This record gives sequence, structure tokens and C-alpha cells, in this order.
Amino acid sequence: MAKTYQEINEKIARGEAVVVTAEEVIDIVKERGVKEAAEYVDVVTTATFGPMCSSGAFLNFGHSDPPIRMGEITMNGVEAYGGLAAVDTYLGATQPSQDKGIEYGGAHVIHDLIAGKEVHLVAKSQGTDCYPRKELDTWVKLEDLNEAYLFNPRNVYQNYNAAINASSHRMYTYMGILQPNMGNITYSTSGELSPLLNDPLLKTIGMGTRIFFGGAQGHVSWMGTQFNTACPRDDKGYPQTPGATLALIGNMKEMNPKYIRGAVYEGYGTSMFVGVGIPIPILNEEIMAFVSVENKDLYTNVIDYSVPKKAKPSLKKVSYAELRSGSVDINGKIIKTSPLSSLKMAREIAEELTNWIKKGEFFLQEPIQSFPMGNAIKGLEIKEGESR
Amino acid sequence: MMTKKILLSFPQKATGQPMAMELIKTYHLDFNILKAYIDDNVKGTLLLEIKGEEADIEAGIVFLRQNQIGVKDIQSIVEVDEKKCVSCGACTAVCAVGALEMTDDWSLVHHDDKCLECLLCVKACPMRAIHAII
Ligand code: SF4
Ligand code: SF4
Repeated sequence: MAKTYQEINEKIARGEAVVVTAEEVIDIVKERGVKEAAEYVDVVTTATFGPMCSSGAFLNFGHSDPPIRMGEITMNGVEAYGGLAAVDTYLGATQPSQDKGIEYGGAHVIHDLIAGKEVHLVAKSQGTDCYPRKELDTWVKLEDLNEAYLFNPRNVYQNYNAAINASSHRMYTYMGILQPNMGNITYSTSGELSPLLNDPLLKTIGMGTRIFFGGAQGHVSWMGTQFNTACPRDDKGYPQTPGATLALIGNMKEMNPKYIRGAVYEGYGTSMFVGVGIPIPILNEEIMAFVSVENKDLYTNVIDYSVPKKAKPSLKKVSYAELRSGSVDINGKIIKTSPLSSLKMAREIAEELTNWIKKGEFFLQEPIQSFPMGNAIKGLEIKEGESR
Repeated sequence: MMTKKILLSFPQKATGQPMAMELIKTYHLDFNILKAYIDDNVKGTLLLEIKGEEADIEAGIVFLRQNQIGVKDIQSIVEVDEKKCVSCGACTAVCAVGALEMTDDWSLVHHDDKCLECLLCVKACPMRAIHAII
């Protein structure tokens, strides 16, 4: 028997909703079968906590007296974008600071703001008739700002490559340190707990979906960049390569610094660990079948990052159960595997979201628009000639 | 005979040299200075490997403590700051001896008895949660 969003929300309001995590639901489906489990369970929570470079914050500082039209802006030495209106900016997570480089970047400023710390704001301007001030040097806290919201253009990748290095030198990458001669494999996913792997065809996750975002209640605002729903899939529909992505939005003032953290990848740059949890309403048996997926049935490719081309070769297709086992066999060589995203923190987020829903503090939002399937990504062609 | 690694922290006035002579003479202890760090005005830190009979080592440590020298037994100079660590696992990728490992519940554990102090993990940690204490 199918359920509606409204029926599930009414159960949440009465404190009667059955909410479990995407790991817990696996055994429930094994014991009861898909049909009965679909009637019993109302919401399944998913989560991830890992590095997501395509992240940043929109901030509005308010006007000083006399006012300034900020052109060049730094926050704790990290450059923020000066091409918006007078006191609006976008602070990108991967922007390095002018003094400390990648050791302290935009993501660290965002974390410090959420942690309630004072941040050094310096701005310069040409000065205009309506905005006469040319310089500004002050300290701001999150609570002093008018608006502060994260808008992350590409988060929660639906599946991602595992990385290996077949060259003879050590590589420093966004997939961590890769030892030479296929010395190790790294991977980044929460697997069977991962949001978009539990809803592979985006039947419930769309524009407007309410989510756990850095400890606040945020929303899916758009399809993420490099949205690839035309990716190869297995016969059930699960992507086998990087697939869909999401653009997320949420109020920084309601976030918890535990779930938004600056990160440094040696020899690569700054990134941001973002904690995201997405509830999946069990509307019918089809959705229940999707969320009962296990790591042994989810596959990705081990990609050789030493090939300096866009299309890097895959050395093996592996399941997440194999990656999680600690080693993978490639042509008879046993290679150690290491995770890059934190399953421990992802579990904590799924638990927290579960509790919010059980306590009636979080309600499901039905998407106001679904995302397109069959959306392929384009590359960038390098065209010759200086003028056209 | 046994070997032990200890970290000494001493105030400026208690210099290392006379203490060391005392350790050799009175307690028959051999030692190697693995690392030394002297902070100009405040205090100094010495990482020693000492070798000798167990009873002599213990008596030597009591002697050092009586002379206002802090003594800490250590296995490895590598420390993981639990408040900063998010258990992502990135550091385990570079630890060749398995001193950094994920437990069954996917928390990070540092087996300091296995650690070779190569310090590769320090740079591998995106949270900068790992540091050498000296
Ligand atoms: S890399 Fe750093 S944050 Fe990640 S598990 Fe190791 S010590 Fe913890
Ligand atoms: S210092 Fe080297 S051996 Fe010790 S934990 Fe770090 S990587 Fe492993």
C-alpha cells in the first residue's frame, strides 16, 4: 500500500513514524521482505561526511558609516569575491589565504564563523559618489552579519571513483596521498548509507527536499554541477561511475561547527568536510527495494590517477564491500584500501536526523520539481585563435 | 637489560648535562638523545632512549623527578588529537606498518607500539590532527 508525504508527515507529528537508518533497514528488509518492510518503515535516513570542494558561503556584512562598495575583500587573509553588490560576497571553500596558503583557506574561515569566532575583515574600494569610503578594517562574527548561508554548487556525489597510482612516484591528490607502484587505493563514500546511492533514480530527492545540512535544516536547491544522470548503471539502476550531484543551501547561523570543517590535502589545496543527511520517505515498495541496497551490490572503478588525461583508465571494477574489507586484489597483488570520508561521522549524522524526525522536529518536504534523468556532462574544448 | 623511551621536560635552570653524567655514573645507564628542543626562555624537552637494568632505570627516573624534571614514558612521538580527528581514514593510506588503523566501528586508532615515527601521516591528515610532540 502506497503512502504519501502528507501521511508520513502526519505520523511524524503524532510521534508515530518509524524511522531507521539506511544501514539498519537492510536487516529489516531481510527479515520481513520488501512488501511488509515498506508498510512498517516510514522514513529511511542516509548521510555522508566527506570532503566537498565545490562549497562556499554567501555573506552580507551590512553597511558601515560612511558606506563602502567593497571591491577587494579578504577574511582572515582569504580573498572573497568582490563582484557582487556593495556588501555582499561569496567566500569559496578552496580559496587559500594570502599568508598561510592552503593550510588555512575559505573552508577554515567558514568553520571559524560557524564556531562563533571573530574574523578579520579587510575591504578596499575605488570610492564612489554614493559609497565614499575607500578602506575598511574590522572584525566580524557570524551573529553580526545580516545573512550568511552556505550555497554549495556540487555536493554529495552519487558514487565516486576509487584512486590508485601506477607510476613510480608518490602523488599528492584530492584523493589523498597515493603511494607509487600501486601501493594503495583510496575511496570516498558512505556506501550503503550514502544519500544518492539509496535513491539512484532520484524518485524522492529533488528541488526543495529538506535535509540535514551541517547541523541545520537546509534544502536541495538545484541539481548539482556536473550532474550526470546519463552515467552507466547496473540492471537495477544504481550508477557505476560518478552520477548525480546536488546543490545545497542552508543557514550558517543554525549550523554546528562539528559538521563543517576545513581540510587540507597536501600538495593539492584546501577543501571542506560537509555533513549531509537526507531522509528518504518510503512511499512504496520500489523505494524500499532501493534503500535496502548493500555495499556488496554497489560498484565503482579503481582509476589510475597517474595518467595525466581527463579519461583515466580503470584498473578494476570493485564493490564497496571489497573496498571496505581493507584490501583489493588487482592482478594477484593485494593492495591496501583506505577511506577518505568518515563513516563514523556519517553514522552520527544519520542518527541525529533520525532523532529529529522521531521527535517531530523535522518534517519531509516533497520536491517541487524533479531532476532530469539522462542528463550527460560535457567537457571543455580548447579552441585555437586569440580573437573570433 | 632493557630499553625504554622517555620524554624529559626540564626548567631552564636544570640543564641536561650534569643530570646525564649522574645517570651514567650512579645508575649505569646508557642513553641516546633522539631529539632535543630548547625553548629560549621557558623550558627544554629531550627525547631519550635509555638502556640498563630495569631497577636502575626506575631509580634513575626517580632521581630525575626529584630534580624537577618531568618524565613521561612514550612509545611514539606521534600524537593524534582526538578533538580534531574525524576518523576519515586518510592517514591510514600512508602508514606502511599499520600503526594507524580503522577499528571495526570505523574510528581511527593509533597503535603507538608499532609506529616507526616516519611522520608521513602528519602531512596526510586533512584535519591537521596529527603532530609530533617534539
Ligand atoms: S587523517 Fe586525520 S582526521 Fe582523518 S582519521 Fe587520520 S588523524 Fe583522523
Ligand atoms: S609516523 Fe609513520 S609509522 Fe607512525 S603512525 Fe605515522 S605513518 Fe604510521
